[in-house]
Amino acid sequence: MSTLRFGYGTNGFANHRLDDALAIIADLGYTGVALTLDHNHLDPFAGDVAEQTRRVRARLEQLGLGVVVETGARFLLDPWRKHQPTLLSDEAGPRIDFLRRAARIAADLGAECVSFWSGVKPAEVDDTTAWRRLLDGVAAVLEDTPARFALEPEPGHFVQHLAEALRLRDELGGPEQLGITLDVGHCVAVEPFDAATCVRQAGDLLFNVQLDDMRTGVHEHLEFGEGELDLTATLAALAEVGYRGLAAIELPRHSHAAPDVARRGLRALRAADWLADAERTVRADPARIRTLFPAVGRKAGRSALDAHGLVHGTVDDKARVRLLAALKPEDLAAEVPDLYRYGDGAERRAVLRGLHLLPPEAAGTGVRLVEDALRANDIGLVAAALGPFAAEHLDAHTWRHGVLKCLFVGVPVAAVAGLGDRVDDELVRMVGDYAAERRAAGRDVPSDIDVILQEAGAQ
Amino acid sequence: MRIFDPHIHMTSRTTDDYEAMYAAGVRALVEPAFWLGQPRTSVGSFTDYFDGLIGWERFRASQFGIRHHCTIALNPKEANDPRCTDVLDVLPRYLTKDGVVAVGEVGYDSMTEAEEKAFAHQLQLAVEYELPVLVHTPHRDKLAGTKRTLEVVRESGIAPERVVVDHLNEVTVGLVAEAGCWMGFSIYPHTKMDEHRMVAILAEYGTARMLVNSAADWGRSDPLKTYRTGQAMLAGGFTESDVDTVLWRNPVEFYGQSGNLMLDPLEESSPTGATFEGNSVLRGARQ
Repeated sequence: MSTLRFGYGTNGFANHRLDDALAIIADLGYTGVALTLDHNHLDPFAGDVAEQTRRVRARLEQLGLGVVVETGARFLLDPWRKHQPTLLSDEAGPRIDFLRRAARIAADLGAECVSFWSGVKPAEVDDTTAWRRLLDGVAAVLEDTPARFALEPEPGHFVQHLAEALRLRDELGGPEQLGITLDVGHCVAVEPFDAATCVRQAGDLLFNVQLDDMRTGVHEHLEFGEGELDLTATLAALAEVGYRGLAAIELPRHSHAAPDVARRGLRALRAADWLADAERTVRADPARIRTLFPAVGRKAGRSALDAHGLVHGTVDDKARVRLLAALKPEDLAAEVPDLYRYGDGAERRAVLRGLHLLPPEAAGTGVRLVEDALRANDIGLVAAALGPFAAEHLDAHTWRHGVLKCLFVGVPVAAVAGLGDRVDDELVRMVGDYAAERRAAGRDVPSDIDVILQEAGAQ
Repeated sequence: MRIFDPHIHMTSRTTDDYEAMYAAGVRALVEPAFWLGQPRTSVGSFTDYFDGLIGWERFRASQFGIRHHCTIALNPKEANDPRCTDVLDVLPRYLTKDGVVAVGEVGYDSMTEAEEKAFAHQLQLAVEYELPVLVHTPHRDKLAGTKRTLEVVRESGIAPERVVVDHLNEVTVGLVAEAGCWMGFSIYPHTKMDEHRMVAILAEYGTARMLVNSAADWGRSDPLKTYRTGQAMLAGGFTESDVDTVLWRNPVEFYGQSGNLMLDPLEESSPTGATFEGNSVLRGARQ
């Protein structure tokens, strides 16, 4: 496994007492926490905040949790207006005061940094003024404090892209105590590059990382797997840049089911981290795929990606294909026959789903494996055999019989790659005869026959 | 009574056995890789057997409501045959597969140099692939064999709590208890150990690190000997909880060290029309 440290954001435990939230986060196996200072979680404006901070610090140490301080509370400064005032407001004083308080609390907690954002630009303020206010505000916050601050690009805020955050830092003269908070879900939503690329761009300046999934253009924090984030590639990039800070899950709208969501989150992180590590290992030593390939189901999960996993396969199929893709083409061609020979059903399925990665000169090997799979009665193998590799390399006779077998054994023809391009008169005749035979026997005719006939008609 | 048989060769048993085992409370088992009675003559014979352990036999057991796991190894007897020893190079491919919960059976048969070499090599594989080890002790010259076995285990550096030394009796149990390894007992109708002697050993040594198995195979053996030992324990004054410790919690704890046990209950306890690679355990028309 990599040396990444995974944490969870307390803003995802808004309905828990802070002590209970910390205990659950530690019990689940996280090693850190992103602590959002809020009215019910270490209120920075409480009279006894110093005493509370000492207590929380002792608790964190007892539980073995690292900590970063987050300052994104919604109604902490103004009970009427979310997130107000900001560093861009006419009166930014309360925000600056709050961030300086947060710095003192961070120091007393032994926190690794204080994370903050620019805020939304008020409609009546022009860009130049807003930028000026932001520069002045950040400079004021950084003055006379040893605390490390991390600016987070936030969708919809004045600073919403990594590039703007880096430019702001440059214009301030590149103070050492100022770095970046990167929310990898935000990268999916609004950045021009994927999260792994953003991680590399931020490099050494990455002080703090927030983890969640998202869809392009939609700022909605999702659990892993519900959006478009390539979590494995993102964690691989974090390991590659030598990131040593906390990487904490940020799901502020999942408090209603926090313990379950947190449990699922860590499982997904460990699976992705294992896979990223396995990819690195295989790249460095191709023979290691022989023992990592079989272990995938146990380490990375097995659930189906559609109703029966026949069309898009399963989580372990996908993970195994990534390991195949980590091999150089000549190593792949050398390893594939034995991975198939010694594979159990799941491993063979994944080999079949990865055959399109073979170099052209090894196509013969791939064809042999596809032919073997099409002789099997395991429908998972039959479905996996008729992917893009078969569409490109299988001879017409074998391919047609493979499609017919799908109809026989109940593999949806949606699993057949390139159906529209390869369907021909002979296949139409074969499925027509099959339909006639079924009707003559008074039996149902599979509806997928119509799909094949429609593809033929569309040619 | 819920039972986990930590050592039974189901490949050589019938579906009647599976049904009787389920009725007696067996819900999980481990089938160690061993020899076949008829000597193997090639590596291919091993790999087909291993494929059966992780494939067809697991499916067959599941059809009777029983979770099937296995251990993988070159057994001591065939470690002496140069036609078989190349299987050592293939073992790592199997050790990380789903449901493989230990390296085994390894150890001595006739105390030869070839046996020792294969034994030591496979202990290192267990360390490398983070698996427990199931060690067979010889039928002949058992006491000397057990002593040497424990020396080789110690030299390998593997943690003793990750090793079970099997087929013990009154003469050998003390050595293994002292070494900190798990103690395995194969309860047979006529040889090795019977359930009443087993109860006496449990009374003397306690239930910790104790594993009781039927080791049933194609010889005269009884797959319900685990159940009968449980009954004998109750008759001998042990509590239901003691029985559960020996027959369920202990094997779960020992093999659980592999991180590879699959113990979620199965839905069906009688065969369905389900198939493994297209073959079912039903004979005659499928419904």
